[in-house]
Amino acid sequence: MIQTVNLQKLFATEEVETTALHGISMDVRDGEFVAIMGPSGCGKSTLLNILGLLDNPTAGEYHFYGTEVSRMSERQRAQLRKGSIGFVFQSFNLIDELTVYENVELPLLYLKTPADERKARVEEALTRMNIMHRRNHFPQQLSGGQQQRTAIARAVVAKPKLILADEPTGNLDSANGEEVMKLLMQLNDEGTTIIMVTHSPYDAGFAHRIVNLFDGKIVTENFHV
Amino acid sequence: MLHNYLKIAFRNLWKHKTYTLINTVGLAVAFGSCLLLFLTAYHELSFDNFHTNGKNIYQLYNQTGLSNKGVPMPAPLTTALKKEFPQDIKHIVRVVSGGTIRYGDKSFSKTVRYVDEPFLQVFSFPTQRGARPESALSSLSSVVLTETAAKDIFGSENPIGKTLSLQDETGWKPFVVSSIVADYPDNSSFRFDMLVRFEADPTYQLNKDNWDDSYHTVFLQLADNVTQASFEQKLRGVVKKYYAGNLSNLKRDGSQPDENGDLYSLRLLPLRDLHFDPEVGTAEVPPVKKSYPYLLLIVAGFIVVIACINFINLSTARSLTRSREVGMRKALGALKSQLFLQFWGEALLISLFALTLGGLLTYGLLPVFKQVFRSTTSFSYFQQPAILISLLIGFLLITFVAGGYPAWFMARFNTIKVLKGGISLNRTSILRNTLLVVQFAIATLLITCTVIAWQQINFLRKMPLGYNEDQVISIPIRGSINGRQMLRLLRDRLSQQPRILSITGAYKNFGRGLDGSTVTSIMGFEHNNHSVQSHWQIVDYDYLKTLDLRLIAGRDFSREYATDTTTSVIINEAMAKALGDRNPIGALMQVDSGRAPLQVVGVVKDYHHESLKRKIQPNTLIMDQGWPIGYALVKIAPDNVPATMAMLKKTWEELDPNSTFQGSFLDENTDRLYKAEERLSQLFISAAIVAIVLSCLGLFAIAVMVMTQRTKEVGIRKVLGASVLSIVALLSNDFLKLVVAGIVIASPVAWYFMNQWLQDFAYKIDIEWWVFVLAGLLAIGIALLTVSFQSVKAALMNPVKSLRTE
Repeated sequence: MIQTVNLQKLFATEEVETTALHGISMDVRDGEFVAIMGPSGCGKSTLLNILGLLDNPTAGEYHFYGTEVSRMSERQRAQLRKGSIGFVFQSFNLIDELTVYENVELPLLYLKTPADERKARVEEALTRMNIMHRRNHFPQQLSGGQQQRTAIARAVVAKPKLILADEPTGNLDSANGEEVMKLLMQLNDEGTTIIMVTHSPYDAGFAHRIVNLFDGKIVTENFHV
Repeated sequence: MLHNYLKIAFRNLWKHKTYTLINTVGLAVAFGSCLLLFLTAYHELSFDNFHTNGKNIYQLYNQTGLSNKGVPMPAPLTTALKKEFPQDIKHIVRVVSGGTIRYGDKSFSKTVRYVDEPFLQVFSFPTQRGARPESALSSLSSVVLTETAAKDIFGSENPIGKTLSLQDETGWKPFVVSSIVADYPDNSSFRFDMLVRFEADPTYQLNKDNWDDSYHTVFLQLADNVTQASFEQKLRGVVKKYYAGNLSNLKRDGSQPDENGDLYSLRLLPLRDLHFDPEVGTAEVPPVKKSYPYLLLIVAGFIVVIACINFINLSTARSLTRSREVGMRKALGALKSQLFLQFWGEALLISLFALTLGGLLTYGLLPVFKQVFRSTTSFSYFQQPAILISLLIGFLLITFVAGGYPAWFMARFNTIKVLKGGISLNRTSILRNTLLVVQFAIATLLITCTVIAWQQINFLRKMPLGYNEDQVISIPIRGSINGRQMLRLLRDRLSQQPRILSITGAYKNFGRGLDGSTVTSIMGFEHNNHSVQSHWQIVDYDYLKTLDLRLIAGRDFSREYATDTTTSVIINEAMAKALGDRNPIGALMQVDSGRAPLQVVGVVKDYHHESLKRKIQPNTLIMDQGWPIGYALVKIAPDNVPATMAMLKKTWEELDPNSTFQGSFLDENTDRLYKAEERLSQLFISAAIVAIVLSCLGLFAIAVMVMTQRTKEVGIRKVLGASVLSIVALLSNDFLKLVVAGIVIASPVAWYFMNQWLQDFAYKIDIEWWVFVLAGLLAIGIALLTVSFQSVKAALMNPVKSLRTE
């Protein structure tokens, strides 16, 4: 499903050049749950952004479902991203001016899903994430856990094959964090590929495989059975 | 999706009420002011555009060398022109004013114009009733009335075929109403209540072959294939043929030729330029300089620029609050173009709302505006499709720039950075700072111009005119009693009144009285082998005494000398200089070859008998009984003025029940001469206030944003021991630098423009350095006040709290 070959990412300002990724080659299979770990500044989020087609690598190859995407324009990446990748962030990134329902509906609007189907899918996602009763609330009126459940509902509503989660439990207490991880597990069990960046060994324990990064390189890979 | 965009737009506007209010109110005020200024400018520019033949109509004027232009023409000139150029001239129309109307036993003070027969064919004043334009003035005893005049005179009666009387020097004469035309529109330079045939003017028979008496204006409608330049070229031949004597005199006196090498020329002024030529334009609608309406449009543009800058600055500064939305929408697959359209659409929404509000503001304020600025513009101009379309294009352009830049700015946000919350407002955004500088430069420019214009107007107002302006009342004599007779009656009735100090009369008024007319009469003659030109004022006894004119040589007119009502004259210093005699007293002036020479009996100190825009010209006072007295001048005691005015009015109306009392003080009359300048400076003041308020509104909002951004910095500085004052200074400093930059840019520009403007005045102030300092300090003060409210608030914040907010 996903294959990267010798991915490089260089951030250059006028004064400094920083290499964030240093030859990352990895495969992620369909239905796999991969956790990426490592200390701060090791390149976890940079890798996740490239995998999520939010950014291009400086060098190397990235095959997304057999298509080489590393040289695509932003416009092409946006088209590909739409509907095939769902995002979950540490800070939820819900739009404050939209209700829970409207936030979850947003991906379907960009996919131009017909109104009836949109309604059914949003309600299904909300019910699944156990947030249906809060559908007309605004994000500020929700607890952290509820906000993250809404964000997950938004990530899954378009039924993407891949979900990228960037420290999804980072802003949550342990009970809410546990709940979120269970939801992700459940999605994975149903066949959704999940790549998650985390600092938490406990959360990483839910994954099939843990990739450890250090200074932009993969140092170890641990498999759970 | 549109539904989603609208929903989020409204929720955002509602959530950030201060921002929405500043943006909407700012734009609405700007749009409203702009529309008002646009209406005024358009009205001025539309003057005399309604005549169907307009592009072929010209007013004839003469120019002596490089000196002033003159419009009065001698009666035989038109006959000569018709004879010389029968193919080139389609119609020729002479115009002269005069007369009082009587119907039954009632007199009416109306504007009567003696015009040639084709007047209504040349000019477009549509017939409402009666004879058509071609035949309305075919008879010498026919008159044409405007709708309003007909209603005033005849009430509900049918005026067609009715006989009314018209008074001239020879008495009352009957005329029959042949036609009623529509009232002249507000943007017409021609104003009249009644038209009479030119040949019916009593002076016509005396003057029809007299080349020496120029007393009427001439309008030409040229044939379609004749251009102004080609006809003016032909007019050079006319001057050579008919003005040979005049030319040789000018040559002898060493007159300077004009740019074509002509000492004297006849020229054409296109009708569409009539309103913009102060020397040729009509007196009843004071012409304005052509730059005036354009100046208004520039000021309107300035105001819109300021409002747009606010919009751009506020929107870009506020865009941070939407950054997460942008990031998320991008992550979900939104394209830049989609985001641009979304945000631009929001700007369009605000602008549309502001335009509606501005339109309502214009509509509501127009009556007040018209009254305050004495404008005759109308909201109905917006019904013209061309105006509507150009306004729509202007509006879309404004929203495209003001809303487009912030939309483009937001659409370009880096997805990864905004999702991580990594974008912050740049404290030293070059664009924002440049825009703030431009804003304050415009505001300072307007403040400086306002101060200088106000100084000049004040200078003119306060300048001693050399005569008593605040105690003398001038009353136009327009009723059924002739001027000299009225003067006698007034003297009989009022000479015993202690509050009436002195009474006299004159042919011409000072400044512009309540009758709205100004007259200039200039006589030219040969004196000791050189030409002399002098203003000619017909006066009555006690003129010097009433006006407190200072006699510096000779004596005043006196009843003891019989010659004083025939050949004695009193001249001013400028005239004494023009005559060139060592001792002007006793000098003889041969003005009219057929009559006895006039003798100078007195010289008065120069006084400003004309507008202060011109240097004092030679002036001659004469008691010639052949000329009419048009104005009674009454000097009153300074105490209890309202009672004296009421007594004068009562006496006047008792003496002539058919006429209206239109007395006004001379200082009010001279003030009216500077109406255009006053109007301009008032408009400038208002525009400057709007500009300043809008600039401050923008600055305030930006200050709020920047202070919020710097909360953490303030907290840290306070923890490290900074005082409140030092923090206020630090925070205000960034903004003050921008304001100072604006002042530095604006000052030389203001100096240049105002210096140009002052060139129009013969008597003017010097632009002083302190004006710029004052305007600068004012701008700094206002800006400081705006910003310091926010900086003090930030500086007083508890550092524990401000650090926590980060």
